[in-house]
Amino acid sequence: MPESPTMTTETDKQLVKSTLLGETSAFGAIVERYWNMVVALALSKVSDAAEAEDIAQESFLKAYAQLAGLRDPSRLAGWLSKITAQQCSNSLRKTVRHRRAFGCRATPIEALDERPAMTANPGLTQNQIHFVRQTVRRLPEKFRTMIVMRFVANLSTVQIAEQLGKRPGTVRVRLHRAYKLLRKDLAPLLEEVES
Amino acid sequence: MMTCEKYKNFILTYVDGTITDGHLAELKTHAETCESCREEFERCVLLQDVVRQALSSPLVAEKAGESLVARLSAEPNLRLRPARYGMAFFAGKRAAIAAGILLAVGLFLGFTIGRAGKSARTPLTARVPISVGKIEGTVLVRHEDSDVWQALDAGSNIYLGDTFHSTSKSACALRLDEESTLELNQNSMLILKLYNDETQFFLEHGECTASLESPHGPFFISTPNGRVEALGTEFTVTVTDE
Repeated sequence: MPESPTMTTETDKQLVKSTLLGETSAFGAIVERYWNMVVALALSKVSDAAEAEDIAQESFLKAYAQLAGLRDPSRLAGWLSKITAQQCSNSLRKTVRHRRAFGCRATPIEALDERPAMTANPGLTQNQIHFVRQTVRRLPEKFRTMIVMRFVANLSTVQIAEQLGKRPGTVRVRLHRAYKLLRKDLAPLLEEVES
Repeated sequence: MMTCEKYKNFILTYVDGTITDGHLAELKTHAETCESCREEFERCVLLQDVVRQALSSPLVAEKAGESLVARLSAEPNLRLRPARYGMAFFAGKRAAIAAGILLAVGLFLGFTIGRAGKSARTPLTARVPISVGKIEGTVLVRHEDSDVWQALDAGSNIYLGDTFHSTSKSACALRLDEESTLELNQNSMLILKLYNDETQFFLEHGECTASLESPHGPFFISTPNGRVEALGTEFTVTVTDE
């Protein structure tokens, strides 16, 4: 499991403070810390990996520009997740307009192959990756955020609650529901991977 | 069977990310001999791994950080913008209208109540004349600029910027003066803030009940959805997620 963001030496607060004092390397540390979470949040909404990375970059640039307006730096992860959600909506709107104008369609699943996928950890095939992403995308948005913050950013339910300004009980219930749905929908894939 | 129930709960806390090292070790030892729990636990670990892999980025986080820093240095138009107060909150048309109304109400109150002669702005970490009354269970308090949550007790000093967090089955009463109290009910979060040079309460979530002396001056409780003004001597404000 990746190291939890709160367990690292410099806190988010310190990194935000240093960035605001002009240390861009501190912002680099913020990007490093939350890159996987932000990309995963984007991938839970858009189907194209390159588009998700573009969204992540734009989200971080927007966060940098607006960093001085962040009211509570200890809630940086929650704030980033909201900016990412907004950037995803903007990107999806643009894609819809583009598709209407040029009549493009998404890649059909049959066009994908069984080669290992282009991810950081190529244990799954492209088809399997596509299936997992599609299953996650089918979850309600409030569940998707919980799944990404918990399984990708490795934040506990208590930390997620603090980041999103919600009650830990609410986060726990949503996470368990999302987990149950994923377990049910991904059961065939999990069996395939296990065997 | 009863034992397995205990380990199933451990698996749920593993999903939550709140399992202790001791319980995790206990769960792993149990899973070695119990097939049902082993399957359940392995499935749980595998599911997390599969989701993480599927949503991972081919670009390593470290490289992404370096690349963005390089971009920030290379493109001078990408710079920190000065803070605009409440920028995130005031995004959107409806919020802008709400902000306008709040501003108008604030200005009206400012002029009518005549706060012009008051002293200069109080430092954000100033101690406020609020004392802690009755406490049930454990209520936590965190001072501004601190990451540490402390248990609130009857002798605790209260400062501007303090955040109070009551967990399940816990509550506390804050004594505002001889006859006025503000009760924070269970599963709630309340922040003391400065607004128009006055101490204000911001209820982030949960519920609080204000009992005020009569007659009292203007008294507000802010919430993420707006500000509530006390018209009577006792009222309850609730903020839910929905």
